[in-house]
Amino acid sequence: MKTTGFRSFVLYILLFAFLGGLGWFGLNLVLNGSEWASQPYNGHIYGEDTAVSAGTITDRSGMILAQTVDGTRIYAESESVRRSLLHTVGDSSGYIGTAVQAVHRSKLVGYNLLTGLNHTVLTDFSSSMQLTIDANANAAAYNAFDGRNGSAFLYNYKTGEVLVKISAPGYDPMDVPGDLLENEAYEGVFLDHTLSSSYTPGSIFKLVTAAAAMEYLPDWDTRTYTCEEVYGIGDSRVTCLNYHGELNLSQALGYSCNIYFAQLALDIGADKLQEKAEEMGFGASFSFDSVTTCKSTIDLSGASDLELAWSSVGQADVLANPYHMALLMGAIANGGKTPEPYLTGRGTGTSYTLTDSATAEALHSMMRNNVANYYGDYLFNGYTLCAKTGTAELDGKNPNCWIVGFSDDASMPYAFAVCVQEGTSGLYTAGQVVAAALDAIS
Amino acid sequence: MLETISNLIARVLSSSLLSTVLLLVRAVTPIFALYVVWRCYTSFKKGQRRKDPVILLEDAATGARFPVLYWENSIGRSRSCDIQIPDEAVSRDHAVLMRREEGWFVCDTGSHGGTRVRNRLIEEPTLVEIGDKIKLGTTTLILRSTEESPQKKRRFFTGFSKEAASPFKLMAYVTLVQLSMTVQLMLGMGEFHLYPVAPFAILFFAGWALYFFSRRILKRVSFEIETVALLLSSIGILLLSGEGLDAIKMQVAAFGIGIVLFCFLVWFMSDLERVMKVRLYIAIAAILLFAVNLVLGTELNGSKNWIILGPVSFQPSELIKIAFVFVGASTLDRLQTKKNITEFIVFAAICLACLFIMRDFGTALIFFACFLIIAFMRSGSFRTIFLILAAACFGVFLILQFKPYVAQRFAGWMHVWEHTQDSLGYQQVRTLTYIASGGFFGMGLGNGCLKYIAAADSDLVFGMLCEEQGLVMGLVVLLAIALLILYARSDVTRSRSTFYAIAACAVAGMLLFQTCLNVFGPTDVLPLTGVTLPFISAGGSSMISVWGLMAFLKASDERTYGARRARNGVAESFVDTNFAGVGNPSGKRGRGYTADNSAGNAGRVSRTRAQQSEFDDTSEARRATTRTNASGRPRPRRMEVNIPDEKLSPGRAPRTRAQQSGYDDTSEARRATTRTSAAGRARKRKE
Repeated sequence: MKTTGFRSFVLYILLFAFLGGLGWFGLNLVLNGSEWASQPYNGHIYGEDTAVSAGTITDRSGMILAQTVDGTRIYAESESVRRSLLHTVGDSSGYIGTAVQAVHRSKLVGYNLLTGLNHTVLTDFSSSMQLTIDANANAAAYNAFDGRNGSAFLYNYKTGEVLVKISAPGYDPMDVPGDLLENEAYEGVFLDHTLSSSYTPGSIFKLVTAAAAMEYLPDWDTRTYTCEEVYGIGDSRVTCLNYHGELNLSQALGYSCNIYFAQLALDIGADKLQEKAEEMGFGASFSFDSVTTCKSTIDLSGASDLELAWSSVGQADVLANPYHMALLMGAIANGGKTPEPYLTGRGTGTSYTLTDSATAEALHSMMRNNVANYYGDYLFNGYTLCAKTGTAELDGKNPNCWIVGFSDDASMPYAFAVCVQEGTSGLYTAGQVVAAALDAIS
Repeated sequence: MLETISNLIARVLSSSLLSTVLLLVRAVTPIFALYVVWRCYTSFKKGQRRKDPVILLEDAATGARFPVLYWENSIGRSRSCDIQIPDEAVSRDHAVLMRREEGWFVCDTGSHGGTRVRNRLIEEPTLVEIGDKIKLGTTTLILRSTEESPQKKRRFFTGFSKEAASPFKLMAYVTLVQLSMTVQLMLGMGEFHLYPVAPFAILFFAGWALYFFSRRILKRVSFEIETVALLLSSIGILLLSGEGLDAIKMQVAAFGIGIVLFCFLVWFMSDLERVMKVRLYIAIAAILLFAVNLVLGTELNGSKNWIILGPVSFQPSELIKIAFVFVGASTLDRLQTKKNITEFIVFAAICLACLFIMRDFGTALIFFACFLIIAFMRSGSFRTIFLILAAACFGVFLILQFKPYVAQRFAGWMHVWEHTQDSLGYQQVRTLTYIASGGFFGMGLGNGCLKYIAAADSDLVFGMLCEEQGLVMGLVVLLAIALLILYARSDVTRSRSTFYAIAACAVAGMLLFQTCLNVFGPTDVLPLTGVTLPFISAGGSSMISVWGLMAFLKASDERTYGARRARNGVAESFVDTNFAGVGNPSGKRGRGYTADNSAGNAGRVSRTRAQQSEFDDTSEARRATTRTNASGRPRPRRMEVNIPDEKLSPGRAPRTRAQQSGYDDTSEARRATTRTSAAGRARKRKE
């Protein structure tokens, strides 16, 4: 029996393997438990309908945007605020993956290793969040959309605080429509279009073409082209909305003359325009609150002259992401460099350099010129803005209306990008969103 | 009035105070469970006999003494023998000296020169008495009883307590765990429920019935294995009760059948000859059952290991686990005579082949692990094990080569977070999420979310347990199962036969391996294979099987059959003297002991000392008695039972001898006495 007894040591091998496995599992639980617990399918956080267990979210002034009362998730009192912040705060089911309730769910749900997701005294201390958002400005801007789809993003380019972030279509999280998943009107409703979509930019891309000219054409500030409403390239042609005659760059940007920029781009060349666009953030992903955003894209490799000409005015296959556009505006306003925008805490400390300071300075003055001499400050309730509008023509649809820019007033260091789908014009449709937001902020 | 009460209940249920109270209850429950698990183990350790020799073999020529330490002892020239004889004429594994019901037997295990007892060449196991001469080769060994009194050894770590816990107290703690889980079920699920009283009542009565049957009727000393099994079954059944009564009907029925099977198997294994005789039939029956399964089997959840008869479905492979252990384990004399394990390999291969055909890879792995443990414990040959492992690896390689879809099933392993919405990781990530959600103390019984996932109550049940009762409870359950390894290990040389020792090790190893697969599969430490967690997972076959397997652990504890013989004597004491053939006095409960004596033993007191000494072994007992009387207080002999000897007051000392004589007066002893009285008396006189 001695030998039998001795041989039973094999059981220890099994026992140690078991303890080893258990240790490995325990280690992973300690390291990743928070992430494991806060998955979007977790029934303790997201109920089958809307019962959500999570902490309170407030805006910059302390207005409650979301809280849990008796096991039910309650959102802001005002319906406009609720709708305008749907994609920022998030829904109760966790479908909107880029919203605070999804991104910061591990903090909001008040997970800790000891009590898990049990609601205890500890949970209340740790699970509240304050956002940099200005809820009233959001609501005002959202109402200015007038039921159209699109997105708006406005942030402080000095600090990175985000004040307005809107994506439409949306819905009221307190009254989720029953046909949310079937109705075509709600297509893409779970996407935050500021972060996760790219649109044809139209004329706002002329800023990039202008920047390329400043780098590659030494006589850019004196160079002129003539606009005769139509410009033939090979068998085809580029058209303009008006007959503009002979223009310099600043005038061409103010009138948003397609033919000027088409000829400018042909002189710059596809490679160089591509290079400048990439330098300014096309083809790159940016980060926002740990969400990786959708890229802006341009591909001029092997492009024909016609394609180059149309691309230079933001048509053809060029796509721009609203968040990226806002960052570009922030960079231009801020000498070429912008901090990464953020919603909570103090931000990541990352900053993006999208252009050099000389180009930023030149674009800055031309964009101020746009508003002062072409658009009219009265449209923006007297705020001193620098901007560029865009009205991107789409096949068979009303145009995408863009306005991008920033405030020239040092007390209001805000950069913005607004894109309203199927509007009438960039200046009027998108412009009123900016005006409404700025009004509500100040 | 009734309305006021129901209003009150409703208000309490909706208050946040209740949830805090329930959280505290959940925090305390695993502490009770841990206490039971830990004290069962320490009590078990304390109940063990010390390893002191009871009889000796004396070399007639040199006077060298070989202590006999075990129930089965190999004798031979080999270094690995329990009694090593340095004699060239002795075979390497010459004979086996073993203790059976009737006394000590010598059995020749295919030696060259043969073995002689009382100058006769033996062919069958032969009973030997103290003073008998056993001749192996040129060596003659005389069976002697020991004279030294055992040394009191100190253990370094006694488990926080010097004394063994009372089985009654531990059962009371099990009831406390049941009660606290039932209260959680009644109050914790949003509204008041009365139905959890039903499973509680069944668990309560079944548990205590087993307790009284074992302790009062069978007079068994130990109840640790049963206590742990009852604790784990209770946790499992009450965990499943969160889903309502329908979810546990089969489980509770299987629990009852399991207890009956446990009792039957413990009885069945009391007679080793009977077991060894029917082993072949068990093997044939197991293979037939597999054959029936292959023909009539129904495919459920991807493997065809189910037989469905009307409303009842069961997995034959679970029951075959018991048969597998029966076939694998063997007594020492048979191990010595039949060294190769070909038959067992063939049997195992058939079992594994059947399981592979049924595509039940998880169970096949469990059988394979069990097979490796048994094969190693029987052969001790690393070469055999490596050959088997190499063959297995080659087999797995072939399978993966020709059936790559098998590997596909495990492709999610270590990458489950890339597969949160498909079958490769769906169950795993949810298990992890809900284990983390539960924290240390759980979300409350019936309040889990994992239960909505397929196989949550079987393959993923560890996740469900942790989510609802907390990680601490999960770990306590795992500790209870892991400690079975230590039970089996520490009992291995104290068992009444290598059969029990090998069987217990195989069972402990098999259960822990199964636990590994069940716990580490869904938590992504290992690839996910659908196996059950012993005692906890839903599944009647599994519940019955695991109770059946517990019988092997119970049987390996020598105390299990010890008390059987003490029925006429002191009920409460475990008598290790079964081993030596000598009675031993002790009684935990003075009353019972006194009553027993006054009633039944009075007549025996008058039995003469001569009569006592006629049974040779008792001479030693007599000496012990004398010592006891001289010192004025009874001295314990190898009594590490849960009965502190000191409780036997000096006032009772005079009765000790009477009690001893009465005590070891088993019918067997008397028979032996009659048979050998003449010879014995003669030998005694010579001494």
